[in-house]
Amino acid sequence: MQQTVYKVIGVVLVLYSLIFGLLTSIPDLPIIEESIRNLFYHVSMWFAMVAMMAGSFAYSIAFLRKENLYTDRRTAALTETGMLFAFLGLFTGMIWARFTWGAWWTNDPKLNGSAITILIYLAYFILRNGIEDERKKARISAVYNIFAFVMMIVFIGILPRMTDSLHPGNGGNPGFNSYDLDNRLRLIFYPAVIGWILIGTWIASLRYRIKNLSIT
Amino acid sequence: MSNIGLLIQRYAKQELRNSNAIFSLGLYLIGITYLIYLLGGSNASDNSWNTLLWVVVFFASIMQASRSFEFESGDYFYYYQSIAGPKETIVAKLIYNSLYMLFLSAIAWGLFSLFYGNEVYQPTVFALGLGLGCMGFSIILTLANGIAERSGRNATLSTILALPLTLPILKLVSTINRYAMVGAPFDETATIIGSLVTLDIAIGLLAYLLFPYLWQD
Repeated sequence: MQQTVYKVIGVVLVLYSLIFGLLTSIPDLPIIEESIRNLFYHVSMWFAMVAMMAGSFAYSIAFLRKENLYTDRRTAALTETGMLFAFLGLFTGMIWARFTWGAWWTNDPKLNGSAITILIYLAYFILRNGIEDERKKARISAVYNIFAFVMMIVFIGILPRMTDSLHPGNGGNPGFNSYDLDNRLRLIFYPAVIGWILIGTWIASLRYRIKNLSIT
Repeated sequence: MSNIGLLIQRYAKQELRNSNAIFSLGLYLIGITYLIYLLGGSNASDNSWNTLLWVVVFFASIMQASRSFEFESGDYFYYYQSIAGPKETIVAKLIYNSLYMLFLSAIAWGLFSLFYGNEVYQPTVFALGLGLGCMGFSIILTLANGIAERSGRNATLSTILALPLTLPILKLVSTINRYAMVGAPFDETATIIGSLVTLDIAIGLLAYLLFPYLWQD
């Protein structure tokens, strides 16, 4: 029962944000214009990614404590799902950047941060693929995953706030207030974030079950 | 604790005996500096000077750290485990690698000053940035090499693992050193130095806590 409830809530919230994200009235801002609706689709991807990576970080710590291989499969599943959201966030962001900043890619601290994040986690998969022994693989990749998560938080959470950025709310001014994130947007944005996190949890749990089944 | 000193001594002796390795690092530093000189590095602006110095130091640290666990493979792993625990090993390795990197970066700075002139306005701040950066590199590269060593893979893997992780540090130190070159007011530099110190301590602590999980069979 519990298993179904969160999936239903996730689907409903995502559908709500997809549909009403296009229908809602938006603040009238220069340059960004109608593209502000991408807030619901682009920013929520990054929130979902960080949530997935935080989950895999927690499971990595849990693995090092108990050495339970099921925990390791959860870590891998969550990281894979996090990567999916990272790529989606990157693509939606590139489209947004093209229409507001005029280029697909700019030398912006947040863009660098997300590119580095993707590199860090791709290295994680390379590391996992290279080790035969299940237990050794789990332990070594847990160590790397914990380290990687901390560096990712530094790179996407702390460094961009210290330098100027094209993104709103940066340059010593963290938060969303400068976003003109008014209540109309919040009403769609927060459900979108929660919905995508729930969908991500669902995807990860499916990946986890597949992993368990493919162990023969 | 006394074991740590002994281990560091032992690593240093090993390195001196294996003088081939030191000479290859020295030759790399001189060769690459001269190569940049030939390609017109002497006309480089402050910014490019700084960038080039960091690229040279960065690759030197990758080369240096790639041999971190050279002598701990195979049966030697058990031998070292019998004389020192993982916590002592990692502390000794981190201190040894950091000192080694400080030495190499000092040489690189010296060579750059020799060929292109020393254009640093605040040498103390510059040296501080260089030192903190080298410490950060050493910590990350040592851990990455430990991972690569334990997973039984070659040096390529450690570079793949370490490269993205070192970029935040590289970004911070190059900013500090750029400020030091132009002589920015100290309170502006101090915030970045403060965050770099915090980052170094945090990753050092993390490496210390995580290494024991790596260093077992």
